[in-house]
Amino acid sequence: MILPRFEYKKVQSIASAIALYKKHKGKVRYLAGGTDLVPLLKLRLATPAVVIDLKGIEELKTISRHGGWLAIGANVTLFDLKNDPAVKEYFPALYESLDATSCETLQMRGTIGGNILQDVRCLQYNKSMEWRTARGFCFKMGGKTCNVVPNAKTCFANYCSDNAPALITLSAKARLSGPGGERTIKLEKIFNGAGRRPFALEAGEILTRILIPLKKTKGAYEKLRVRDSMDYPLVGVAVSVADGKVRACVGGIGPEPRVYDLKSANDGAVNEAADKAYTDARPASNTVLSAAYRKKMVPVLLKRAVKKVMQGGK
Amino acid sequence: MKNDLNIVGKRVARSDSLAKVTGEARYTSDIKLPNMLVGKVLRSPYPHARIIRIDLSQALKVPGVKAAISGFDAYGIKWGVFRYTQDHAMLPTDKVRYIGEDVAAVAAVDEETALAALSYIKVDYEPLPAVFDPIESMKDGAPQIHKEYKNNINIHIHIDVGEVDKAMENAFLVREDTFKAAGEAYAMMEPYAVVASYKNGFLDLWMPNAGPHVRAKALSNLLKMPLNKVRVRHINSGGAFGGRSEVAPADLVASLLSIKADRPVKLTHSREENATSSRQIHDIIATVKTGMKKDGTIVAKDYKVIYNGGAYSSTGPIATSIPFYVYEECYRFPNVRYNGYRVFTNKGIRGMYGCHGRAFLAGNEAQMDLMAKELGMDPAEIRLKNGLKPGEMTATKSKITSCGLKETIEAASEKTDFKKRWARTTRFKGIGMGCVAIMCGFPMGFRSGSSCYVKINDDGQVTLVSGLVDNGQGNESMLIQVASEVLGVPMEDINLICADTEVTNLDPGSYSQAAAFVGANAVKAACENARKRIVAIAAEKLGVKEADIGLKDRMAYFVKEPDKKMPISWVVREAFFRGEPIVATGSFFPNIDFEREWVSRPWGQMAGTFSFGTSVAEVVIDPETGKVTVPRFTAAHDCGHPINPMAVEGQMEGSILQAGVATVTEGNLWDEGYLLNPDLLEYKVPLACDMPDMETIIVSSHDPAGPFGAKEGGLTVRMNAYSAVACAVTNATGELFEELPLTPDRMLRLLERKKGVK
Repeated sequence: MILPRFEYKKVQSIASAIALYKKHKGKVRYLAGGTDLVPLLKLRLATPAVVIDLKGIEELKTISRHGGWLAIGANVTLFDLKNDPAVKEYFPALYESLDATSCETLQMRGTIGGNILQDVRCLQYNKSMEWRTARGFCFKMGGKTCNVVPNAKTCFANYCSDNAPALITLSAKARLSGPGGERTIKLEKIFNGAGRRPFALEAGEILTRILIPLKKTKGAYEKLRVRDSMDYPLVGVAVSVADGKVRACVGGIGPEPRVYDLKSANDGAVNEAADKAYTDARPASNTVLSAAYRKKMVPVLLKRAVKKVMQGGK
Repeated sequence: MKNDLNIVGKRVARSDSLAKVTGEARYTSDIKLPNMLVGKVLRSPYPHARIIRIDLSQALKVPGVKAAISGFDAYGIKWGVFRYTQDHAMLPTDKVRYIGEDVAAVAAVDEETALAALSYIKVDYEPLPAVFDPIESMKDGAPQIHKEYKNNINIHIHIDVGEVDKAMENAFLVREDTFKAAGEAYAMMEPYAVVASYKNGFLDLWMPNAGPHVRAKALSNLLKMPLNKVRVRHINSGGAFGGRSEVAPADLVASLLSIKADRPVKLTHSREENATSSRQIHDIIATVKTGMKKDGTIVAKDYKVIYNGGAYSSTGPIATSIPFYVYEECYRFPNVRYNGYRVFTNKGIRGMYGCHGRAFLAGNEAQMDLMAKELGMDPAEIRLKNGLKPGEMTATKSKITSCGLKETIEAASEKTDFKKRWARTTRFKGIGMGCVAIMCGFPMGFRSGSSCYVKINDDGQVTLVSGLVDNGQGNESMLIQVASEVLGVPMEDINLICADTEVTNLDPGSYSQAAAFVGANAVKAACENARKRIVAIAAEKLGVKEADIGLKDRMAYFVKEPDKKMPISWVVREAFFRGEPIVATGSFFPNIDFEREWVSRPWGQMAGTFSFGTSVAEVVIDPETGKVTVPRFTAAHDCGHPINPMAVEGQMEGSILQAGVATVTEGNLWDEGYLLNPDLLEYKVPLACDMPDMETIIVSSHDPAGPFGAKEGGLTVRMNAYSAVACAVTNATGELFEELPLTPDRMLRLLERKKGVK
């Protein structure tokens, strides 16, 4: 499948990226590793006039520590991040989620910024123009209703980043730069819950850094997939424990991850969170495994992750 | 001769390996011809619709477009492997019958122009009711997909041997179960591609194919061109697995475009098109009823198997039969009834598969284990008891000549400590065994045999000409190795010309497991004839008896005094001097009953010989998620005397991946007529790091008719690997699978059923 035509611009600074965005009046997509965007372009799911390549922005390629935070540039590859000693030592949930992402070859290509801002996925959405035209456009493509859940005027596509749930359990923040200036928000606040356009970013905003409180945590990431070598999560659950506080986050079902702060790590609290997560999960038949099964796996993986953290002492 | 072979039986590097691992090997998409155009196909968006009108005129006006065609530019001829299955126009003019069916096409100067031009083709359709489920499709009142086939039953294979009902009545133990399996994707590494070049009345074609001669013949029919004007040329193939046995719609499309444009046309499928619009594998529902004596002897089998055949016949009668045959070639069934139905639906086209029939075969094997257990027997015992032995006849009257089934069961059992581990019930861990036999070739009329032409060139190097085609399994290297053995020259001295229909003779192709048994036998015969000529001259020159001449390392020598020798090249030059260059032909025609017919007369000798195999899989099941993993896999294979053991092991390992691990991961997913996973992300082909630890055991035997004792190598593992995994799951859970693949959701249901959870 060939790419559609677009103009390609590579920038050296955040400011010039934003300037270009303004110049082209928003008919722009930002490109980092390309592992999410390039397939979307080929499938004609994204049709920008201009693609602005952010890989030339050197300041976004660094991992640094300051003021009690680990600041990760959005251009850091998943592979480099996985191999950063601080990640291994301080954030085991993130280490495991990075390791579980795709395969190593693609970890070397994909960036943490791109991984977090990947579009939501659905068996009936990530298809060629020909396939989608034959099927009829769904809600996310601008059609009237969902093609998976008949008559639903909402989108049930799944957010499939392995790393965002892990980062959320670590109370990570996102630093954003855009035409309106800079801001820092909790990572979970970048989602708006709408599969059609899942991110609450302002027009032209660039995710520049991820900030994680630099303190030792215990953690785990449990991922359900059919093919271990390389697969998006069908359900993914991250758990981190810091200062005795247990935080879990469920991804892979629906357009945003769901976060759960547990009162403690005792059975009652874990069961309560697991029950809540089960109730909250609203999977649709838009992956290779059934919706009912994926829902059932939410509490299973949540409990398993907590158990692993408490027993493993990581 | 068996024990003094120089090359055959050795682990030699395949002749094609270097080019492939360095990326130098050329495939169809690599071909660049002067003035070549790019072809693109407009496909049906409907599962079933009447074609009212196709208007190409606006597309032809797009700058850069050189041709546009639809079925109205073809000759109204329909393709079918058999006279009674000719129902596939490839470019329909009456109705479309599946989503993704080829409707029209353009050839343009580049891909972008061709893609843009497609949107200017106007097709008016009248949508018709469609049916996707074979059970629904067989019902009265279901949408009729082809008017010639009542209740959409494309093929009914009916085999009835002995007295099944009576035997069931008298059986000590009877069990009936139904098993389902999703169809698979061939998922060849190379998406389908064709280059067609029409010039001066000749049509040259390159495409991955498993039988160049049958391909050329089909196209000569479809294009109403004399066969000598249609020339299928040699090109490397990026995998076939049964999916490239037949003429493909893209072949006709590219040919018509090239003829129209008078320029070469390349048509390359996208990965998605390769899945939606080239052949896929049948979904199957198999009902298996088995009667056993108290001692575990199978007294009767009664089968009803429904194959979702998609929109057209394809290899229908063969596809509907093969799962049964590879099973009856393995076990003794005194009474057996098989009702196989291939049913049309509005799904994509389907063909044969190297792992064809997993619901049927795995179902049989897993059910047998449960019945054996009830009778106090283990899987190895029951297989040995019912397995065919050399000299026996199958239920449908094929004589089994060489047969190492017993040896494969024993070898695989010993290597895995099978009996002990099967009996030990470890929670959520299991071990299972699957057996099967494979016919080496099947009746294909006058195309069942192969011939070879060999010439020895003036420096003693050799040119071989064979109709055999290599789909990646190493057939080319195998022929060279056989010739090297017979002629006493190293493999690098041998050039092979193959799979080109203009210069090679007929060959059955490489989809009926006939390549080694038939193709290599023809090469051996031709080379032996050439050898006789070399030996005669060498004997004369060296002054010894012909019987005392050996050929080795490019030399003809006196076997009793090896220093008495002369280069083969001298012999060849002498032959040129005499005006009788060393050229020879040889052929092989297998011992097959040609009265045998898949539907009308399903009995008689199926093939010249049969190969056998036993796979043992070990599984671990996650009790909470239902996820099945296969940590270890052992396969034992009677392939006769292996020509290149390393190549056979490669085939066995590939089979473990493609059938064994795929039991857990692979299956096509549908939303009515829409294929939901026409890509390699959502269709879960296991990767190298998903492989289990593997042990491959070649049970070397000697087939009396095979070339140097060889038979088919590798396919038995493709046909029994899923059985081993399914049986291992049965061992771990005590339950039979309901449906393949054994994805975690299905596995969890199985575990819950055991626990009685609703």
